[in-house]
Amino acid sequence: MDVFLPIAEVSVNIVAIFSLSAVVGILSGLFGVGGGFLMTPFLIFLGVPPTYAVANEANNILATSVSGSTTHYLKDTLDYKMGLMIVIGGAIGTLIGIWTFTYFKGIGKIDIVISLAYMYILAIIGTAMLVEGLGEIDKARKKIITKKKLHVHYWIHGLPLRMRFQKSKLYESAFTPIIIGLFVGFIAAIMGIGGAFILVPAMIYIIGMPTRLIPGTSLFVTIFVSVIVTFLHAFNYGSIDLILVFMLVTGSIIGVQVGQKLGESVDSTGLKTLLALLLLIVGIAIAYDTFFAEHTTQEIAKIDTNDLNKLSMFIKKLSVEVPTLYGLFSIVFAVSLGVAAAFIRRFLSNLRKKYFKKAA
Amino acid sequence: MPEIIKNLPNEIKKNKLKTGIFIGLSAYWGLILIGTFLSVR
Repeated sequence: MDVFLPIAEVSVNIVAIFSLSAVVGILSGLFGVGGGFLMTPFLIFLGVPPTYAVANEANNILATSVSGSTTHYLKDTLDYKMGLMIVIGGAIGTLIGIWTFTYFKGIGKIDIVISLAYMYILAIIGTAMLVEGLGEIDKARKKIITKKKLHVHYWIHGLPLRMRFQKSKLYESAFTPIIIGLFVGFIAAIMGIGGAFILVPAMIYIIGMPTRLIPGTSLFVTIFVSVIVTFLHAFNYGSIDLILVFMLVTGSIIGVQVGQKLGESVDSTGLKTLLALLLLIVGIAIAYDTFFAEHTTQEIAKIDTNDLNKLSMFIKKLSVEVPTLYGLFSIVFAVSLGVAAAFIRRFLSNLRKKYFKKAA
Repeated sequence: MPEIIKNLPNEIKKNKLKTGIFIGLSAYWGLILIGTFLSVR
């Protein structure tokens, strides 16, 4: 069942997009990662041009992070002050990232840059996860218990402008979260990912935040970074396709809920090794596609706007004629879907509690 | 150092899985580094 994407100007299989985003959503819920670094390469394999894959996945991440963040807001597991410091760095990093993106797009090298960036990121995360996963399995077999240091001090902790973060019970330089945010924002703008896989370890090992505040704060930061990325992509390149975004958001929000439920009952040590292997396989596929596959120039037939259905025509016109409004609309669209998903989840959870209480 | 080299075949036999993963990862990294070098050239 193919659907024509009016902005990306390609036809994609609706079932394939929906199921892949649901599977990536399950993995996200299970391992607490954003999933953007898996979904963007999958979109590219499904025929969506890399420039569009990056932009639309950023919009999808916005919806899922709003959904997750609302849940954490309701549970009060969010450090706003720390989050805002990271956002300041993230905003600067995103702007630098978009300039870099524009530069490579200008010289016609953006597709290879995106592919190379994915290849290396997947290789680094895959290798790290594989080594860690195997180490954990080894330790569990030999029943070795290692004592970890409470705090490791790096050069970043010696920076000036120290301030108190009451919620996290920390007294640290404001530059620590700002520098981390800068790096995350830069990567997010170029690759269309939320950057949680960098942010979460940085929050644990560099900032030293309490574990219970990490997922919520990470999602809170991701909202702002992906808003900037989405808006700049929509405004500069008109590459946000609301039909694709809707398919991605629906699949991943359902997947994340399933993944979180599964995570409560499944031991993730062995699964982590499997996820690492999956990441490396995706990396190999990108390497093959970039270095060895024969690239045939796809001739895209010029689509007459009158041939499109009413919805596609409206989206296309809005994107071309009022890009600022379109950018804002795509943000509001993703945020509304995310908030709605969070409240539906809360409603269902309350309903289940009520039902079980009555049954008990 | 010579002791480590002498024991290497035994270590490889003992840890087949780890050796396999090490070779696999080395091949993977080699492939992407050479590929990057060639595509940049």
